[in-house]
Amino acid sequence: MRGVIWYIERDFLRWVRGRVAVFSALVMPAAWLIFVGLALPIRFTDNYLDFITPGILVMTMLSAGLSGGTLLMFDKILGFLNKFLALPAPREDILFGKILFVSLRGLIQSTIILVIAVLIGASVYSPLQYGLTYLILFLFGVLLSAFATTLALYLEDHDSFAAVNTMISMPLFFTSSALMPYNVMPEWLRTLASLNPLSYAIDAIRAVDAGALPLVQIVSLAILGIVVTAISVQVFRRVTV
Amino acid sequence: MNAIETHDLTRYYGARCAVNHLTLSVDREVFALLGPNGSGKTTTVLMLTTMLHPTEGTATVCGHDILRDGEEVRRSLSYVPQDMAVDIKLTGRENALLFARLYGTDTPKDRVDELLAVMQLFDRADDLVKTYSGGMRRRLELVQALVHKPEVLFLDEPTLGLDVAARATIWEHITALKKDGMTIFVTTHYMDEADRFCDRVGIISNGSLLALDAPSSLKARLSNDVITAHIDGTFRDPGVDGITLFSFANNEASFLAENGREALPLLADAFTRAGVRVRSLALREPTLDDVFLHTVGKSEEPAGFDQTKFRTMLRRRK
Repeated sequence: MRGVIWYIERDFLRWVRGRVAVFSALVMPAAWLIFVGLALPIRFTDNYLDFITPGILVMTMLSAGLSGGTLLMFDKILGFLNKFLALPAPREDILFGKILFVSLRGLIQSTIILVIAVLIGASVYSPLQYGLTYLILFLFGVLLSAFATTLALYLEDHDSFAAVNTMISMPLFFTSSALMPYNVMPEWLRTLASLNPLSYAIDAIRAVDAGALPLVQIVSLAILGIVVTAISVQVFRRVTV
Repeated sequence: MNAIETHDLTRYYGARCAVNHLTLSVDREVFALLGPNGSGKTTTVLMLTTMLHPTEGTATVCGHDILRDGEEVRRSLSYVPQDMAVDIKLTGRENALLFARLYGTDTPKDRVDELLAVMQLFDRADDLVKTYSGGMRRRLELVQALVHKPEVLFLDEPTLGLDVAARATIWEHITALKKDGMTIFVTTHYMDEADRFCDRVGIISNGSLLALDAPSSLKARLSNDVITAHIDGTFRDPGVDGITLFSFANNEASFLAENGREALPLLADAFTRAGVRVRSLALREPTLDDVFLHTVGKSEEPAGFDQTKFRTMLRRRK
């Protein structure tokens, strides 16, 4: 398991030295927060920014997690993966390294989005509430990055990975409870939204903000994360090029 | 026990046979697998480094079975693929330290310093790899591969895309490693390098091993002289007894003859009679190139240009 740290260190150094990429990933969620959160004329709540912030945080995690798969895709295309697979270290270390790095990077990005939200007028919550919010975001990040990394291992090239990524990220976001509460949704959307794992995370953060402890959602996210990770570990152990 | 033993090692991709019943043993030497592109060299290396399962047959590396003891196999070898995969946003030292730590080396920093010095990279160790030349990147890959003192080193096309001086340096290092008792398995299609630096070569074509010996013995097997003729216009084999054509490409025809000096005028006459215009004729000792063309040429019957086959090939290259 020691190898995990070194894989994370490698990805971290490459990320911070990439400069542009550090900020470009923040543009999209920040734009949503400002242009939708502040500008949309909404009647069901008098503070739409507070309502949409959990959705945007989860959206940040969603794009961080899914795009995290490109890390493995490029390792594969450029020949790094072959070198790592030829190491005696357990192959699942590569997977755990990616999951942790992508989730932690997502948390750093979420923090910046959270700061922006507060700066433009979102409510401030207690440290315990933020701690739970981070836990939920982390569990969600693990689920997505395990999925995206394993998907990247299977897909042939970067184009198809990017295509799958776009294909699932937008529909997932719009069929979640990110933009509106269940009671104003049309019937068909309500069913979809209540099944969407994105909604588990968003609803959980909203519940935390309201002062509740959303055990059901947290446990469901944790179970989903563990199942997907366990499947991914099996895939990585058996992988051949 | 030999460092590498393969027995009937076979790999199919669908219906296509990439490696066909390969039986080899390699120990404490520089061994080169020579073959044209797509002949099964890389597939063989991938199987021996446990990254690809054989369809049939077995192999051991340092006595460990590649199927059953994958982890032990990987512990005793190092693999440098042909892609030149070093992180350009990391420094040379960071690249090397990553591998030293992943291998669980006892004193990673000292070991890396030592190897960077051996590979003449010490002065540039803290520069980003972005600023390294191709030869330096290859040497950095050797540092990464050597951090855990492997017994067997697999190098896939180690000098591909390097200039002459950089190639010579890489081979110097490979030769030095062999002197320390390491087994080095390279794949290449540079005949001159295989001839000069390898103890034994195996010639592989379409997945089958066609010849296996020291370069000098392989050349001696072609106990004949080689005559090359530079042709203008259309070419026809003049068909002289005792002079056999073994390759024709780029207007250059190569013949084998038992006594070259006597064959030269005969060949010149025959060409004149056949109406073939010859620009020059040259006589020389056989090289590994000739051995290769002679061996591989025999197995590949000349076939017409197959449009569908060509298209599949192009598609695969992507």
